Amino acid sequence: MARAREKQLSQVVSELGLDKQNSGTIGRLLNHGGLGQVQEGSDGRMSIQVHIPEDELTYSPSIIVMPHAGELEIEFFNDDTNTHCAMVPSNGDYQWIWLPNFSTGKVTVTLDGPGYYWYGSNVGNDEGRGLTGAIVVMGDVPEEAKLDRPPQPRP
Amino acid sequence: MTQEYIDAPPPVNLGNLSTEVGNAPPVARDVTHERILNAREAEPHNWITYYGAYDGQRYSLLDQINTENVKRLAPAWVFQAGSQGLHAGPSTYAFEAAPLIVDGVMFASGWDGFVWAIDAKTGRLLWQYKHAIPFDVSLCCGNVNRGVAVAEGKVFVATLNAHVIALDAESGDKIWDTVHGDVRAGESATVAPLVVKDKVIVGSSGGEFGSRGHLDAYDIETGERVWRRYMVPKPGEPGSETWPDDGEAWQRGGGNCWVTGTYDPELNLLYWGTGNPAPDFDGEVREGDNLFTDSVVAVDLDSGEIQWHYQFTPHDLWDYDSNMESILFEQDGRKLLAHFDKNGYFFVLDRTNGELVRVTPFVDRITWGEIDAEGNVTPRIYPEKEGEEVHFYPGPAGAKEWTHAAYSQRTELFYCPVQNTGATIARRRREFKEGMPYWGAHVIVDTEGMSGAVTAYSASTSEEVWRWETNGLPVCASVLATAGDLVFVGLPSGELTALDARTGEHLWEFQCGSGHHSSPTTYSIDGRQYIAVPVGWGAWTEGFLPGLMGGAHGSSIFVFALPEE
Repeated sequence: MARAREKQLSQVVSELGLDKQNSGTIGRLLNHGGLGQVQEGSDGRMSIQVHIPEDELTYSPSIIVMPHAGELEIEFFNDDTNTHCAMVPSNGDYQWIWLPNFSTGKVTVTLDGPGYYWYGSNVGNDEGRGLTGAIVVMGDVPEEAKLDRPPQPRP
Repeated sequence: MTQEYIDAPPPVNLGNLSTEVGNAPPVARDVTHERILNAREAEPHNWITYYGAYDGQRYSLLDQINTENVKRLAPAWVFQAGSQGLHAGPSTYAFEAAPLIVDGVMFASGWDGFVWAIDAKTGRLLWQYKHAIPFDVSLCCGNVNRGVAVAEGKVFVATLNAHVIALDAESGDKIWDTVHGDVRAGESATVAPLVVKDKVIVGSSGGEFGSRGHLDAYDIETGERVWRRYMVPKPGEPGSETWPDDGEAWQRGGGNCWVTGTYDPELNLLYWGTGNPAPDFDGEVREGDNLFTDSVVAVDLDSGEIQWHYQFTPHDLWDYDSNMESILFEQDGRKLLAHFDKNGYFFVLDRTNGELVRVTPFVDRITWGEIDAEGNVTPRIYPEKEGEEVHFYPGPAGAKEWTHAAYSQRTELFYCPVQNTGATIARRRREFKEGMPYWGAHVIVDTEGMSGAVTAYSASTSEEVWRWETNGLPVCASVLATAGDLVFVGLPSGELTALDARTGEHLWEFQCGSGHHSSPTTYSIDGRQYIAVPVGWGAWTEGFLPGLMGGAHGSSIFVFALPEE
């Protein structure tokens, strides 16, 4: 049911031109560039490739899903005919990288707990036009950090 | 055709693309417990712990800036922070910290995981640490942090995603990181840690999400938890008789510890305030007094055991947290504790045993109930019937919010920032679900008919000595008292103000461009005294001053000094 609703939503978003540049709106609705789950190596290191397709001003995938907290390597590919960048949150400081036309570069970030984190291309209004991505960290905090109480109902 | 790519330039820390120096002098290496114990008297040029000293007085012996020359006070430098990208609470971030100063270096925390080391003479950024905070973290009261602790070469900070971290005070590099709470249970952390002996003391946030409040001690070197004290007892534990026998209320009972406590080294006791019970306004699901919510608890530093408690608002139905400071002072050889509560009453307790010495109202309008001279509490107006609105004073932000009072050893007066604002509330029962707001009510805080003041009270009698009324706005920032017989306080309308500590006469002000919701501190370098105040309006504005929901956000530390000769 939920999947059907999502499919319908994607279809309507596409029909309205919200998933492309200068169609339904001026830019592109955030986070309509697909979803990708990271690869996890035997050493627990997570990685993913992210592209910036030509004239779409989006990160593809625009939603990165990590199964748990930890270190993530993002390999960016700029397939666009303009220069962009990526400012990605990480413990200690944002990691920032230039992404000239047809370039590739890797960024490694550390995210220490569940929740989701935005990253973006902080030049011009790339962020508003669509070059804003999300990194979702799944999982739970360690057992010792949980409250001493029985399991509670959730929404 | 396969696309051929060039190599992008390698990634860098964003801070490298700024004027950040990258390191700070080793001033924090020899900040020891002994130094913090004697902080006020031995090194008045510094402000090395949250309140300036363990007693919570927020009083400095510096007197270069005084009632005669304060009119010449002018900005020495301004530190501007701002923000980058999308972050949690984009409309609620605020600057609530109390900057620490150690031998010329300022250590301060901001919203969203920022920690800065700044040259306290010039305002130049020495290093910056940025913790990655989830966009969707549960925050009742904005994207805020109240400050850091410094000791043994480290800077300690609690993060909004409920971690406690230790940073190298010279480089800003992380040394250890301990998970302090469960973000999926609505927990966060906003408190400024307190370092005592070999421990870092940190409390929980999350009372509006039905968490179970706790106070924790961590080893200063390793970050390992030494003890945890829950502020809502389990069935069978002391205090559990004040919760329903057969219910689940204790599991979601609140009593969080989100403001820094004080410490008496002779008694080896921490005095920590606890927050509201949950749900805030629906008392029917948690019959009883609900210990140890809305209390001050005297906690043994070594064991974490509660030695005594005093509950200011039993069975709270008004959101009257008691987190705000307990100021330690002596009178006639007696060890006392002063506390201005959200409920509008000024309490003086014997801090050796929690015995009530005096209780008096400190705000003009108190309609929720009454507390008599013996401390007996009689509720009068409270949300009771489902959907039926009631209006009472003070509103849920209290007659004084978490922001701090001060005590001058010269004048023997307490100085309290007062909020005189009411609210309309109706009970709206809801089921508890982990991670969802759990108030049990709808809440509309007044936007008209409010007022505010800084009011001075005698330490010997608790009687009002003077009052300085504002321009009709509540006072939502901490007070600083100095031996120059000055009282400094920031206003929601942006002015940093200096008052005569003996008379309340308005002597000086400077418009900082954004409202104040922080704790100013003072220090000196090379014989020149400075006043530092973080400025950045936001946080739980809908609770303490919705009439200024449209107020300008700011993100600066203003530092003032007298002109150099």
